[in-house]
Amino acid sequence: MVKIIYVEPSGNRRTVDVTEEWSLMQGATASGVDGIVGECGGSCACGTCHCYVEESRLAELPAPGSNEQDTLDAVAAELKPNSRLACQIKATASIEGLVITLPETQG
Amino acid sequence: MFTFDPYSPAIDTDPFPFYKTLRDEYPCFWSPQAQTWVLSRYSDIVSAGQNWQLYSSAKGNLMTELPNRAGATLGTTDPPRHDRLRGLIQHAFVKRNLEGLAEPMRDIARTAAEALRGKDQFDFIDAFSSKFTVRVLFAALGLPLGDEQTVRDKAVLMVQSDPVTRAKNEEHVAAYNWMRDYAARVIAERRAHPQNDLISHFSMAEIDGDKLDEREVLLTTTTLIMAGIESLGGFMSMLGLNLADYADARKAVVEKPELLPDAVEESLRFNTSAQRFRRCLQQDVTLHGQTMRAGDFVCLAYGSGNRDERQYPNPDVYDITRKPRGHLGFGGGVHACLGSAIARMAIRIAFEEFHKVVPNYRRAQEKLDWMPSSTFRSPLRLPLTVH
Repeated sequence: MVKIIYVEPSGNRRTVDVTEEWSLMQGATASGVDGIVGECGGSCACGTCHCYVEESRLAELPAPGSNEQDTLDAVAAELKPNSRLACQIKATASIEGLVITLPETQG
Repeated sequence: MFTFDPYSPAIDTDPFPFYKTLRDEYPCFWSPQAQTWVLSRYSDIVSAGQNWQLYSSAKGNLMTELPNRAGATLGTTDPPRHDRLRGLIQHAFVKRNLEGLAEPMRDIARTAAEALRGKDQFDFIDAFSSKFTVRVLFAALGLPLGDEQTVRDKAVLMVQSDPVTRAKNEEHVAAYNWMRDYAARVIAERRAHPQNDLISHFSMAEIDGDKLDEREVLLTTTTLIMAGIESLGGFMSMLGLNLADYADARKAVVEKPELLPDAVEESLRFNTSAQRFRRCLQQDVTLHGQTMRAGDFVCLAYGSGNRDERQYPNPDVYDITRKPRGHLGFGGGVHACLGSAIARMAIRIAFEEFHKVVPNYRRAQEKLDWMPSSTFRSPLRLPLTVH
């Protein structure tokens, strides 16, 4: 299990133990975290698991692929330098304790 | 001796008492009739749905699979192939790409609803929901008009299963074959005269430079047509039934149509039409003291997970203020319903227009005839009385 801290749009912080190798979208939707939809089930097609990754740890994640960048261009909330799709980030021991902030809207 | 036979008419009619026994006493149950394990608790279903490596869909996802279909559709492939295939189709069905359909949908709904004006009694399915869903699908996929009624009839037949033989019977398979041939004609037509629409794009798409397998194009298109008509129609009839039965909920959404999405979500939880799907185990797993073997089929009983008191308090109460997060009404995990956004939008628009013409209604008969299906649950007819 990898501890991930999701900050819901209300500001509420939810600490979730995510199964290793699951995506952060899977971990959030399986635990009923608010502010994330995951409409396409994790196939990087819908942009409704948009999240902001804690900036100081952004560089620890593998960079987004071209698929993810294309889908990020269409997200509903403001696109920021630390915007990512939670379905493309895998829970691994190296990201233990990562803080993920969810936007006001997923469209 | 308790058993759970998803082919039994008693399960078609009311699976919920059986589900409760499963959850409380047999959370990992071997159904000899279905030759399938049944998982019924919310947390077990969610975990299995997320774990496609262990709970594979490649051997089919319908409880009673159609011949030669597994492996060639979104629902019957695993990642990474599934994700690539889904990426090709999903973009047409995400919320932001559906806005252009809102007005055509509203026109279709208005026309279908107006035809009910002045009637004291009608079958919601025959007179409204089937007309609406088939026309919406034809508009969404750009299908040529003319065959709507036949396409609808075949879509409804192909999802059924025979309660006696516990398999698809000749009529069901013939309906499936008809639909596959129909899809083949549409694909051939689009390849000859490409348009800017989903089937044109999909039928000529490539993954990593390779054209899609012909069976993939054909059976995925067939499944889209089936789901667009039967799954959408089946769920609409369940929402119609709930609003007919629960007068307070109906009055609330008639008075404030902005509450309709809440009624939709609660109906998806309360009695979704997609009750059960199937996976195939890739390794031995021991759960709740039972050892399931690699190669065994496992039923994920979404309809039971949605009534799990471990997840939802007072689960048997229909409460449109509940806002049930994480319900399994569209399944879950990597195979969560492709069409959830278009379904939510279509249903909201359909009921907004329906309620403008028919605000007060109730069931015309207590006992309903339920579709014989090991996978889906919805009434064959839903006679309503206007009052």
